[in-house]
Parts: sequence; C-alpha cells; structure tokens
Amino acid sequence: MRRHFVGIAIGLSLSAGLTGCGKGGSATDDESDGKTIRFVAAKYDDDTQPYWEKLIEDFEAKNSGYRVDLEIVDWEQMDSKVKTYVQTKQQPDVLNYNKFSDFARDGLIYKAEEVLSPKVLGDFLPVFADQAGYEGVQYGLPFISSARLFFYNKDIFDKAGVSAPPSDWAGVEAAAEKIKEAGSIPLGLPLGAEEAQAEFSIWAMNNGGGWTGASGEWAVDQSANVETLNFLRKLTKAGLTQPNPEATNRKDVFNQFAQGKIGMLNGAVFMRKGFIDSVDKNLNYGVAPLPSKDGSTHHTLGVQDYLVAFKKDEGKNREAVNTFLDFVYQKENASEFLSTEGFLSVTKSAGEALSSDADYYKPFVDALPGARFAPTDKPEWAAVEGAVKQRIGTAVAGGDPEKVLADIQQTTEKDG
Amino acid sequence: MAVQDTALHAAGDGGRKGRSPAADGHIRPRKLSKRGVRALEPLLWIGPALALILVVVVWPVVEMVRTSLMDISSTGLTRGFAGAGNYTDLFAEPDLPGVLLRTLIWVLGVVTVTLLLALGLAQLLSARFPGRRLVRWALIVPWAASVLMTALIWRWMLNNFYGLVNRVLMDLGILDAPVNWLAHPAQAFAWMMAVAVFVSLPFTAFVLLSGLGTIPAEVHEAARVDGAGPLRTYLSITLPLLRPALLVAAIINVINVFNSFPIIWSMTRGGPGFATDTTTTYLYKLAFDNQAIGESAAMAVVNFALILVVVAFYLRAVRWREEVV
Repeated sequence: MRRHFVGIAIGLSLSAGLTGCGKGGSATDDESDGKTIRFVAAKYDDDTQPYWEKLIEDFEAKNSGYRVDLEIVDWEQMDSKVKTYVQTKQQPDVLNYNKFSDFARDGLIYKAEEVLSPKVLGDFLPVFADQAGYEGVQYGLPFISSARLFFYNKDIFDKAGVSAPPSDWAGVEAAAEKIKEAGSIPLGLPLGAEEAQAEFSIWAMNNGGGWTGASGEWAVDQSANVETLNFLRKLTKAGLTQPNPEATNRKDVFNQFAQGKIGMLNGAVFMRKGFIDSVDKNLNYGVAPLPSKDGSTHHTLGVQDYLVAFKKDEGKNREAVNTFLDFVYQKENASEFLSTEGFLSVTKSAGEALSSDADYYKPFVDALPGARFAPTDKPEWAAVEGAVKQRIGTAVAGGDPEKVLADIQQTTEKDG
Repeated sequence: MAVQDTALHAAGDGGRKGRSPAADGHIRPRKLSKRGVRALEPLLWIGPALALILVVVVWPVVEMVRTSLMDISSTGLTRGFAGAGNYTDLFAEPDLPGVLLRTLIWVLGVVTVTLLLALGLAQLLSARFPGRRLVRWALIVPWAASVLMTALIWRWMLNNFYGLVNRVLMDLGILDAPVNWLAHPAQAFAWMMAVAVFVSLPFTAFVLLSGLGTIPAEVHEAARVDGAGPLRTYLSITLPLLRPALLVAAIINVINVFNSFPIIWSMTRGGPGFATDTTTTYLYKLAFDNQAIGESAAMAVVNFALILVVVAFYLRAVRWREEVV
C-alpha cells in the first residue's frame, strides 16, 4: 500500500516537474521574437481584470504580431510574487506596483525615456514625475494616484453641535469631545498594520514633520514627529478615537464611517466608490482639507502607483514594451482605467478627459499641487514602511513615541 | 503487557505473510543476476522513497540554509555571500527574545491544555451512551474545517463592535462595556491559544481514543476484583497503558503547534507591533515587512533547528519504547 502511494507521489511530482519544464521552454521560445511580453498587474478591485483583458485585446488587434500575457495579482500577494520572480529570474516585462527605486538601484529596470515615447513622457504631471526618479533619473512610470482629504459626517456634526469641519488640531480635539458627548465615535484613527504609514504621515506632514529632513536625509525620529505621536496618543487616551487605534486597519474605520458610526477621519479619494456607495449612497458627508497643527497650511498625502519595465534578454523586449506602454498611456485608455477604479490622473491628457464627477474629484485634484509623497525614490523606503506598519501604532498604546520612532529610524540604516 | 505481546505477534505474522510472496517471485531472477547487482536490489525498492525525500525534504533544507548565508536585496536579487551576517542581524533584533519566549509559551500551553482536555474527551467517547456516534462525528468538525476559516470566524466573534463573545458576556452581565479582545496582547494571545487548542483537540482525542481501545477489558476487570477504585484504576492502569498513544499525540502536536501560522496571522497578524508573534509569523514579517529575506531565512534555519531538537527528543522516546517492549 505504502509503496503504491509513494509511486503515485513520485509520478505526480515527476509529471508536475515535466509540465513545469514544458511551460518554461515555450515561454522562452515566445520571448525570443521580442514581440511577446508578460504583464503583471495589481488587482485594485473586481473591475481590474476585465479592463486589462479588453485593453490587451484592443492592443493586439491594432498591433499585429504583438502579444501580451496578462497576470493579475492581488495586492496581498504582490510583494512575495515580485520577490520570487526576481529571485528566480522570471521577472515580467511590465509590472504594476507601488515601488520602483530598489529595482533601479539593482539595475533591473529601464529608464522611463527608454520605454516611452517623448510625447507620453512629457504628458506626466510634474508633481508625479518628480517622485519617480532614482538618483536624478526617472525610472518609475506614474500610473494612478490618490489623494487624502478630511471626511466628516454632517449629521453627526449637527447632532454634536459642531458647525464646521476643524481646520487645526485644537479644533479636531474640541470637535471630538463634542461628538463623544453626543454618543458617536469622534475620530477614526487607523494605525493598524494595513496603512499605518499613510495615517501617521498625514498627521506628521501637517505638523511640519515627515520622513526626511531638509536635505533629504532620513529623519523619522525628528521632534515634529514625536510631537505628532504625542498628540495622537493624547486623543487615544482621552477616548476620542475608535478603541485601540494600534489594532485598527484602515478598511475597518472606512467601513464604519460609511455606516455612519464615525464622525470624522482622514479619507481617501477612492472612499466614495470603494466604501460609501456600496453601504449607504445617501450618507450625508463633507470633504475638507486635512487639519494641520496651526491651521494655516494644509498638505495632502499623495500616493501613486507605478508601472516599471524590466530589462530582459539584453534589451530585446524594449521595443515591444515601448509599444505597449505608449498604448496604455493613450488618453482614452488611461482615463478609462481611472474612472473604472476611482483614482486621480497622473497625466495632463487623461486628467482633462475626466470631466464626469468633477464635483467630487475637484477638491482632490486642487489639493495635489501641495501634496507630499512617501519617499518611494529612496530604496530603503520598503523596509522603513514595513517597520512603520508594525511599530507606529504601539506608540499610542503602551509604547513610548520617542523610542518607537528611534527604532524605526534604525531600520533606515540597513542597506535593504 | 499481554496486550502488547499479542499486538506484536499480529504485526509479526502480517509482516511475514506479506513478505513471502514477494520473495517467491524474486528467487529465480536473483539466481540469474550477479552478486553486485543483487546488492543494489534494495535500492530498487527504497529508491523512489529516497528520491522523494531528497526532492521534497533535503533539497528545500539545503536551499533554505544557502539563502540564510546570502546577501539578498529587497527586490529579491542575490548580491553575493553574506557569511554569518544574516544571523548576527537576526540575533541583534530587539524583538527576538520576546518572540522566542512567546513561542515556548504557545507550544507548551497549547499542547498541555490540548492533551488534558483530550484525555477527558477520549474517556467520554469510549464510554457507551446513546448518541455516542453522533458526538464522535461532531468532534471531527473542527478538524475537518479549514484552520484559516475557524480562525477568521473567531476573529469576528471577538470583534469589538459586532462580536458574539462581547454580546453574550454583556447579556450575561459579566461585562459592562465591550472589550477589544484582539487588541490587547495578553488577551489576544490567550484567545489564539484557545483557538489552537480547539483545532488540535479532535486529532488528539482520536489518537487517545484509539489508545484506550487497545486496553483490554480484562485488565480493568482484574483491577476491580482487586478492589481498586476508579481513580486508582485510571492512574495505575489506564494512564500507563495509554502512554504510547499519549507520546505520539504529544510529539505530533508539538510539531504542528510550533509551525502553526494561519491562526496568529489571520487573527492579529502578530500585532500590535510584534506582541503576539511566534517564530513562524515573525520570519514571515522579516521577509515581507522588513524586506530582509536573508535574515528571514536565518530565522527559518533557527526554527528548523528548534524542531530538530524536538524530533531528536522524539527519536529517543521511540527507542525508549523499544527497550520497554
């Protein structure tokens, strides 16, 4: 019996190995003509796959001879997939991802000018193109962006007797106290692992803090950041946030805001399509600039995802990649993706093409010129981000803000 | 001891019967072949198993150790040999001692509680009562259900706002306000250990139940005739005879629980911070949050070494059994 079983197991593993080889063989055959490329795209929601399938069908019809093999990967698995692909030298030709600079550092990807026609290259909005360079050269191809603004529930504000959305931190605290008395959760503060780095940097940048210092060096432990964490800790300890910010993920508070349970929070542009509309289309909410410490200048957090093009077969894939990318960035194609997924444009042409829903998107677009970004141009960012996600929340619970920030600052000194 | 003797004889007979037809079939070809080839014959039989072990066990281990000695960039690119660098980085991590201690508590706690509960359950299931079959089936359910699913259901039941656990405790008047169970490290860890016990129980209970089945009724009868009470019978007859089954259940549980990933990952993701991580979730975080693949591999090697110690303990225990028999 047992021998039988082992035999079957061997047979299975052998056949698996053989089919694996078969696949590998045919893939290299296809690539040798330089006209077939592999594209790994991130899954933003259920509409992502149909969009790319249709776009690729279109592309192949208009550019005969070219082929694009599509693979859609969930964001949760993206990091491990990408690492495995690179480690086993199976990287795709084009990748849709949220980082690029460590690829550039390791010499794995093309410069932007090598895989885009000058027309597309000049179409990127400067605010995004500026964030896509490594050591002064643009490598990342901005693809989509989102911005953050302050969302507040007008019904809860009315009930609590708060007349206008707060503009400074003292106002946030005062409004929160009134909302607490009125019986709702005042402020949504997601410092759980999912997106803690974004939430923290929103508060920090509006206090003159941030990830880096004046000359671009890492400065996670700067005093403005300590002050920011102390403020958030104070709000938490006073019960002005949802319980346990350190263990709350962004999607939890976004959902609770959509259900009308939270008074105010730092929301994102995709909140309407991704959260509010699916729960309560009639939610009575308003959008305001992100509150800052003194209430004078307000920065938004810009987030952008990129396309990157990997070098393969001594540049044999360059021409096909270029053709495909130029097609993706055509005005109609790019703007359709943005309206499908509810993001903001990174190119001038697609931004102009997006006229529908102008009322909702306008404040976000208007906030973009003052946007601050995560330092994705620094190769250490990936590791810093990981450390922030794990640790920053503990600073408002049991941990000491100064110590937590010092621990994170230490990770910037590793070489990644 | 009579039991084990009969069991041995049965096994011995089976073995002999199984062997003889195969031997018959091979006597003639063996005579024709040369001696050297004949010496290789066992390889024919163990070859497939050996190949399987080499491919699915040895090779990944070699690969893991090799990775732990390499300098791998955050993109996944191998930049060369790192020597012991990954290990020094790993042992310098301030969170490591806490993680190791928690792993110890996790394994000891879960396995001990599981075994104690399973002893009781096995006793219950071996007793005759109406509906016993139904109860036995019901016990299989947590085992048959996916661990991930069970963990996710528990996460929802422990939710601060919608959770069933808070609702029940508040309705019973035990709590005044909802408790965010999974946000406080100690509580969260205790709950996760409870879930781990819950999913480990069925297997353990059935191993012990089958152990109970091998204890012949005569031994118990003899004890009763000699005037031993229930407690004395259990401690002096049942438990010692159950020892082999108990040992198997303990070792298999230790290895399973040690490597358990989905419960912790889906309920707290090891958080807040690293406060509910065990080595298994910690090594995942090293690779995919800290982007330190080499260091993560070093953690995996340490993890593997710890399991080897457990296995060595197991092998010694097995030999101890042979001696006794």
